[in-house]
Amino acid sequence: MKRAAPYLTLLLLLAASFTLATVLQPRALKWSTRGQSGSLLKVVLGDSRRLFANQFFVQADVTFHSGYYPSIFDQAQAPRNSRHMTAKEGEPEAEQHEKQMNFLGPPRDWIERFGRHFLITEHTHLHGGKEREMLPWLQLSAELDPQKIETYTVAAYWLRNLGKVKEAEDFLRQGMRNNPDSYEILFELGRLCYESNHDPVRARNVWELGLRKWTEAEAAKKNPDLFQLEQIAMNLSRLEEEQGNLVRSIQLLELSKKASPSPQSLQKQINELKQKLAARPPAAAPQPR
Amino acid sequence: MVVKDLNLSIRAGEVFGFLGPNGAGKTTTMNVLLGFVNATSGAAFLFGVDVREPIARQRIGYLPELTYYYKFLTAEELLRFYARIFGIPRAEANRRIDQLLKLVELDSARKCPIKNYSKGMQQRVGLAQALINNPELLILDEPTSGLDPLGRMKVREIIQRLKNEGKTVFFSSHELGEVETVCDRVAIINQGELKVEGRVAELVEQHHANLEKIFLNIIGYSPEPAA
Amino acid sequence: MNTVFALAGVVVKELYRRKDFYVLFVLTAVITLVMGSVSFFNDAKIVRYVKEIALLLIWVSALVIAIGTTARQIPAERESRTIFPLLAKPVTRAQVILGKFAGCWLACGLALIVFYLFFGLVSASREHDWPLLNYVQALWLQWMMLGIVIAFVLLGSVVFAAPSSNATIAFVVVIGILLLGSHLNQVALQQPEPLRTIVYALYFLIPHLEWYDVRDFVIYEQHLPGWTDCGLATLYAAVYAALLLWATWLVFRRKPLSV
Repeated sequence: MKRAAPYLTLLLLLAASFTLATVLQPRALKWSTRGQSGSLLKVVLGDSRRLFANQFFVQADVTFHSGYYPSIFDQAQAPRNSRHMTAKEGEPEAEQHEKQMNFLGPPRDWIERFGRHFLITEHTHLHGGKEREMLPWLQLSAELDPQKIETYTVAAYWLRNLGKVKEAEDFLRQGMRNNPDSYEILFELGRLCYESNHDPVRARNVWELGLRKWTEAEAAKKNPDLFQLEQIAMNLSRLEEEQGNLVRSIQLLELSKKASPSPQSLQKQINELKQKLAARPPAAAPQPR
Repeated sequence: MVVKDLNLSIRAGEVFGFLGPNGAGKTTTMNVLLGFVNATSGAAFLFGVDVREPIARQRIGYLPELTYYYKFLTAEELLRFYARIFGIPRAEANRRIDQLLKLVELDSARKCPIKNYSKGMQQRVGLAQALINNPELLILDEPTSGLDPLGRMKVREIIQRLKNEGKTVFFSSHELGEVETVCDRVAIINQGELKVEGRVAELVEQHHANLEKIFLNIIGYSPEPAA
Repeated sequence: MNTVFALAGVVVKELYRRKDFYVLFVLTAVITLVMGSVSFFNDAKIVRYVKEIALLLIWVSALVIAIGTTARQIPAERESRTIFPLLAKPVTRAQVILGKFAGCWLACGLALIVFYLFFGLVSASREHDWPLLNYVQALWLQWMMLGIVIAFVLLGSVVFAAPSSNATIAFVVVIGILLLGSHLNQVALQQPEPLRTIVYALYFLIPHLEWYDVRDFVIYEQHLPGWTDCGLATLYAAVYAALLLWATWLVFRRKPLSV
């Protein structure tokens, strides 16, 4: 009996632990929600995973710039948004970004002057298919924070450019499942349908939905996201124009004009469309939507 | 103050016993001789060279009381390392390593890491490393500490052999019996002060007692009368 | 010099007979291979993220090996009492310091070669390209940086009693310099006096380890710094390491060692 005592004590302690666990389990459900999540990352990291998600998104941007990126001490000049990652050369976002990335300035002392030999000091963007190098960071970012919209839009943009249309669509649909009211993702999906799949009907439906979602989410705000409104309205307007729905196209351009930083050029386009519409024979003019 | 006004000179070719109770200052004296600590006053010399010069240790071998060596090395690697420090050419080093490992009876364990050695084996590898440079002076701190009677006999034989070769041995020990057997001269130190120094035979004759009784008298121990 | 190399040889033997290096290498290899096996958007040509992760792990592992190995050298010698039979030989304390430094640095160099070989194989398998000169230069600069770190830790090992506190302080300082070293002048200019002068002085005094971190050049396939700059950085590392080793000797030579 004496020899068995330590083992019996061990068994007793095991039984006590098991009993306590079964008693505590229903109570613990009330205060601990993290453990119930299906996601391993959510269980391990909790809400701090969003910090990592942001960091991975920034890493994607760093990769886009091939290592040339402002430090936390150059924050004032850091890119405020990710529009430069999908902006084309000559666009206002690209020009503004060029100014922002001029953060180095002249060296302050000989140490900094010498140290610059060991830094990447040239502002470049990935091109020629190398944009694929950003994708792992974007995917990791999406895994960690499925509610980070720009991850999906930026990744989808570059996937399309790399010829991976199916992957782009799958990723956007994944984004839609996690963010059903996101007009940004709808806009990007619409672009995919229109530019890559050449499916104007579907693109129209998606963009119209995007417009509705924007109205629901942003219209009542003091500072609504006018940039995105302009994007959706402009692209939808172009689609309608190509499809011959000039009335609808004009309506959308009017909507864009409210959000655009250059309303005069839009007014010029409206005037041209109105002239076109007027020049059409009455029988051929389609009914407005 | 651990050691005070200690003046000793050891002659070439003699075996010198350095005795004293625990805490008397024996190890401190050795530390000064070996350059581990600096004397607050006075000087120590080995073969006429100040002990603070590393070259003073070119011709000595040292066996510490607590023998610890690099556990990840084998006995052979350890001896080769020390041989390299002494600048012994490779062929000569190989010859000496073979000879010493046979002498200390570690030939069969030469490729085993020292971490697998027993206390006695570590003591023997210590003796081997103390002899690698064929030293003219051997400084041994409690060389038979932790050894069985056979081991102690072998150490005494090695000391005697070294003496016959004309080497000088300076060692501290608590084994007064073997000190009496092996040593030419002894010094007894107590509480940092040198109490007595001289040839063993002369001291025994002078004090009319054996070395143990002389030692106990000096340290002030008087046995309780039997009931 | 024979003594210094003998001591260095013992340190190298210790490294490859301990398990640290193998554990770190296997960890690096496993994580890199696992990350490399993940498919992102069905694209097999993506390689930079693998290079980034691999190089980060190499840097972390190299620092762990350098700091961990060096921090325990002299304290372990004292604690295990192996320093006594060593210093009882015609060895000066300066030779002990140089030998330990040389051994740790050489050991790190060997470890780096193994790591970079692995890295080269992994990236070559994806890129079908092997910019050998770039890798050699990156390895060289990292090795030089580790020289400064090892000298710094060696100084710490004769100042601090416990290897653990020395290693912790070394990690904090090294990582702090790598992240913030190049920006201290910016931070200084934002401070009022006298803090500005103090921070600026610190900026000039600290070893600029961030110069030796050229991972971005390797990852993003940029042209590495010129060989002249590399040479100057090597000289800087040599001078700084010599300074730290000299300070170590000044502290160590007076330290009493009691058996």
